[in-house]
Amino acid sequence: MKILVIEDDNELREIISRSLTAERYVVETAVTYREARQKALGYEYDCILLDIMLPDGNGLKILSEMKRNDKDVNVIILSAKDSLDDKVEGLNLGADDYLPKPFHLAELHARIKSVLRRKQRDGQQLLQFGNVVIHPESFKVEVAGKMIDLGRKEYDILVYFMIRPNRLVEKHIMAESVWGDYIDQADSFDFIYAQMKNLRKRLKEAGADIEIKTIYGFGYKLVQL
Amino acid sequence: MKLLHASTLRLSLFAAAIMAFWAVLFYYAIIAEINDETDDSLENYAETIMMRSLGGEELPSRSEGTNNQFFMTEVSDDYARTHPHVFYEDRNVYIAEKKEFEPARVLTHVFQTEQGTWMMLEVSTPTIEKLDLVEAIFVSMVLLYSVLLVCIVLTNYWGTRRSMRPLYKLLNWVNHYTPGRKNAALDNPTKIEEFMQLNEVVTSALKRSEDLHEMQKQFVGNASHEMQTPLAICIGRLEMLMEDDAITEQQMVEVVKVHRTLKNLSKMNRSLLLLCKIEGGHFENKVMIHFDELLSTIVPDYEMVFEHKNITTEVVCTQPFKLSMEESLATTLVTNLLKNAYVHNVAGGRVRIVLTERTLRFENTGIDAPLHPTEIFTRFYHTPGKKASTGLGLPIVQAICQLYELNIRYAFERGMHVFELSKDVLGPDGR
Repeated sequence: MKILVIEDDNELREIISRSLTAERYVVETAVTYREARQKALGYEYDCILLDIMLPDGNGLKILSEMKRNDKDVNVIILSAKDSLDDKVEGLNLGADDYLPKPFHLAELHARIKSVLRRKQRDGQQLLQFGNVVIHPESFKVEVAGKMIDLGRKEYDILVYFMIRPNRLVEKHIMAESVWGDYIDQADSFDFIYAQMKNLRKRLKEAGADIEIKTIYGFGYKLVQL
Repeated sequence: MKLLHASTLRLSLFAAAIMAFWAVLFYYAIIAEINDETDDSLENYAETIMMRSLGGEELPSRSEGTNNQFFMTEVSDDYARTHPHVFYEDRNVYIAEKKEFEPARVLTHVFQTEQGTWMMLEVSTPTIEKLDLVEAIFVSMVLLYSVLLVCIVLTNYWGTRRSMRPLYKLLNWVNHYTPGRKNAALDNPTKIEEFMQLNEVVTSALKRSEDLHEMQKQFVGNASHEMQTPLAICIGRLEMLMEDDAITEQQMVEVVKVHRTLKNLSKMNRSLLLLCKIEGGHFENKVMIHFDELLSTIVPDYEMVFEHKNITTEVVCTQPFKLSMEESLATTLVTNLLKNAYVHNVAGGRVRIVLTERTLRFENTGIDAPLHPTEIFTRFYHTPGKKASTGLGLPIVQAICQLYELNIRYAFERGMHVFELSKDVLGPDGR
């Protein structure tokens, strides 16, 4: 899998590249609008991470040029602006996702994986890890070939982990993603423990060969047994 | 006090003083004139009597029906030496015909007959009653004063209204001016130099403050914006460190703590950006939001998150509160207020949400004392002991309310902290 990282900030580019390389992606980088345009139009990539504010041009222009040239590439816009207009315009121009800065690397990985999967399976977005399969369109969860019932939040938590298998997931970040931003001031995380306990029980009872492990007491990791 | 009232009051006070002064002068002038005339006639009268007396003619009868009187007597040499020979005075004289005392002008003449005896002649004529005169003058003064006052008030009212029209127009324009919003240009043509200057000064001052406001907003926006990338880098590096198997548990705990702090910083940053965007009017899409439906999706999450506090939540919807607004802002509005209601609650407390057609009320138990009604809406205000909050939740709520012309009011009622949004237009004093 080849990914082009278009980002003018040296440090951020380095971090993204390093972290993607660690995931065994082939990473190319572009710093300026000219370089980015040249690479994006001249070579084939599976995914392009596009910072739209470049020193010598607007990244959205690359997007529209690629669209004109019928280049079918997955593009994730990285933007410090978090502006609705940019988001709408970017998505209209054919971008697949929009990630406002500052983002979590884990989130970036999950988004990349999600757009790549969409491309590979031509829209059929199955999430699979071990003997657990999730059908996101129908919200169904299959363990060892049998459907199991999960509560709404339990399902959300499981999806969150299935997109990030084998990754350390910080409790707060997971909770924020599942419950929304507003849990940031919760002074107790009992509500997560309760949900996690149920989810684990359900998975175990259904005979799943994956497990959500507690790491150091401040995070979790989904692993295959 | 209105300019009209102030100038009328001053003019009337000034007029009253002037008139009083003038009344006194007038009185003395009249009195002097009357005395002068009286003295002349007394002089003539006295001369006639003296001539007749010296000529041995018969003296006239006492008063001749004019109430003029005379009285002649012989006096000693001593008396003549020690008293002036011609002397005028005002005093009460007994008028025999009327059998009463009346104020009179009295001329006393001391003269010597051919025989060398000293005679004293006293002639008197009743004068007008001075009290009556004072009263008459006073009455006409008061009458004049009232007529003048009415004239002054009318002229002043008419004149002020007419010539001050540009001032009132300017005031009205300034009153309706909202900084940071689109305002109509000042249309206040005038030929009066001072008002022309005033127009210019006010518009340029407002423009200056507008520019400053804009610059400040841009600065906050830019600063927050510029911080996003460095924050992303820090958070990214820490996440890479957390993935590293080589670090110890101890180090991991520290890294996670730094990570969390950075995340709070980034959240605050994003809230600031949101605040700037709301104030900058960047939200123009509107859909009809049914707050009862919105609440029914969000409240269960809160109940779950704050389950350990045993808070009872009650949503009372007498009539659905609806408003046309940006969807994401509606969610932000509700979540911020709900968060507030839960975070500052006590174990076993209550949250009550009341919807009516025109109001949306959030009530919650909490510390047993009212909060500062305006301070809580200022940026970075923290309730003591709640350091984790960004201090931007309520300012964002307020900014959203301002954007959609909602009124927000805080009150402490029956032990509950109440935040009430209402569509009613309130006066500037909040009533």
